[in-house]
Amino acid sequence: MATDKRALYELMYVVNTVLNDEQVKDIVARVSAFIRENGGDIVEVEERGSQRLAYPIEKKRNGYYVLAHFRAPAALIARLERALRINDDIMRHLILRYDAKMERHYQKQQSATPAPAEPAEA
Amino acid sequence: MAKTEKKTEPIARAAVPGTKRRPTCPFEAAGIEYIDYKDTETLKRYLNEQGKLLPRRVTGVSAKAQRQLTVAVKRARHMALLPFVAENVK
Repeated sequence: MATDKRALYELMYVVNTVLNDEQVKDIVARVSAFIRENGGDIVEVEERGSQRLAYPIEKKRNGYYVLAHFRAPAALIARLERALRINDDIMRHLILRYDAKMERHYQKQQSATPAPAEPAEA
Repeated sequence: MAKTEKKTEPIARAAVPGTKRRPTCPFEAAGIEYIDYKDTETLKRYLNEQGKLLPRRVTGVSAKAQRQLTVAVKRARHMALLPFVAENVK
């Protein structure tokens, strides 16, 4: 796992909270499944839960934040990006590819907060 | 309303006019090499009440860190973690 050619990515997305809990879980599970099916390995999925948005999006004041880390081949990203954009229940998303500095930052955070969340399978 | 409490108190400031004081960059001082958009508490320290980024001359952030900070704030705004404009009306 230490030397993996595939880059480490971070994905944060905001799910519409108008849906019920089950539907939200379903979306999170589907996104994770999509990553796995396309040659990605999920490192961690942290559900940050429903948070108040800094400004209204689509007339909604709250959003369900999910933060995922995964390793994936570059080809996955374009497809994931497309899937996220198509899904109307995902109000915002952001994918970042980690460089060495960001990865160090991530490792540091991981060690600082021991296991903040189980890799939720949902 | 939030005008009364001055939360964006500058981190470093030239003490006496004329005396050159080189304020150290708070990020470099803390050994931070990546400014995380998720860390909104830190980012907020570099915004004014309106939610606009403060200039470097006020905060003493290094040019390198300021560039990163700008990107981080923009990402945070996109994800609705920070406002584009904070109306103090609410």
